[in-house]
Amino acid sequence: MTARLVRFGFLALLGVGMPGACSLAEDGPEVAVAIPVAATSAAPGEAAMAKECSACHIAYDPRFLPARSWVALTARLTSHFGEDASLDPSTTRAIEGYLTAHAADSRYGSSGMMRGLSSSNVPLRITDTPWWRRQHRRLVARGEASGDGIRAAAKCQTCHGANGSMIDDD
Amino acid sequence: MISCPQAFAVVGILLISTAGPGEAQGLPSARKAILDGYAAAAKQNDPTFHGFSAAAGQAFFLAHPGVGQPETPSCSACHTTSPLNVGRTRAGKDIAPMAVSRTPDRFTDTTKVERWFTRNCRTVYGRLCTPQEKGNFIAFMASL
Repeated sequence: MTARLVRFGFLALLGVGMPGACSLAEDGPEVAVAIPVAATSAAPGEAAMAKECSACHIAYDPRFLPARSWVALTARLTSHFGEDASLDPSTTRAIEGYLTAHAADSRYGSSGMMRGLSSSNVPLRITDTPWWRRQHRRLVARGEASGDGIRAAAKCQTCHGANGSMIDDD
Repeated sequence: MISCPQAFAVVGILLISTAGPGEAQGLPSARKAILDGYAAAAKQNDPTFHGFSAAAGQAFFLAHPGVGQPETPSCSACHTTSPLNVGRTRAGKDIAPMAVSRTPDRFTDTTKVERWFTRNCRTVYGRLCTPQEKGNFIAFMASL
């Protein structure tokens, strides 16, 4: 594959003011795009989200999961994928507020990200969402998005760049 | 283009090492205040308390207690067996070395120190750590 380098600022990827921004449009070729890793806006809770979540993993874009998933995740931070990620209540509330306000089913999300996700489904892993699996269908087809692989796949920075700017699409 | 976390870590260490002298001077006193707090608490728990032990802290750091979460059987699961090394979280992010000589602002922020002792003592030891254990741990990290 030809490596393609894509650079996106956080705001461009977040699509502030442009609900349904094209950077996460459906059904294009599987092209790795930059993943935001730090807050650059003054939205309430964003700085706390970027600082606390990125202590252990990249601060995943809130549009990758619906609000109900973020509620479930922030409600159980003491048991977070085998880790204790507990935070004080006020920080937890601030982060939950930011994540839910910018979730896949918020005005910042896109219909494609919710397509195929039944209302009773509360995915806790981004890699479990129909949207992610469509976007990464080649990884899924190669069996590299299941079992241990799905945890490796969740390390978005492996392909998308550790600082959110350098990517490789293969 | 392949990302290179090690390169970022090196850059990070260089940035830390070039921190201004004014900031650096405040760090040892902030660390001492945290240790003093643990010493006072340890003494309250045990009147025979006679200070912290870096050797005990090292043993605590290297132990595999086998009672915490299966994903984190020891401190070294993420921090490697040497606090001088850059560690790696299970989700793939680098962790700055725990050794104070490598990361000078370690153990200088009470909120951060307590947050991580709470989290990691639960996941590795299945319980909260005692003030004696926390003080030993910091004494070890400051001794390297």
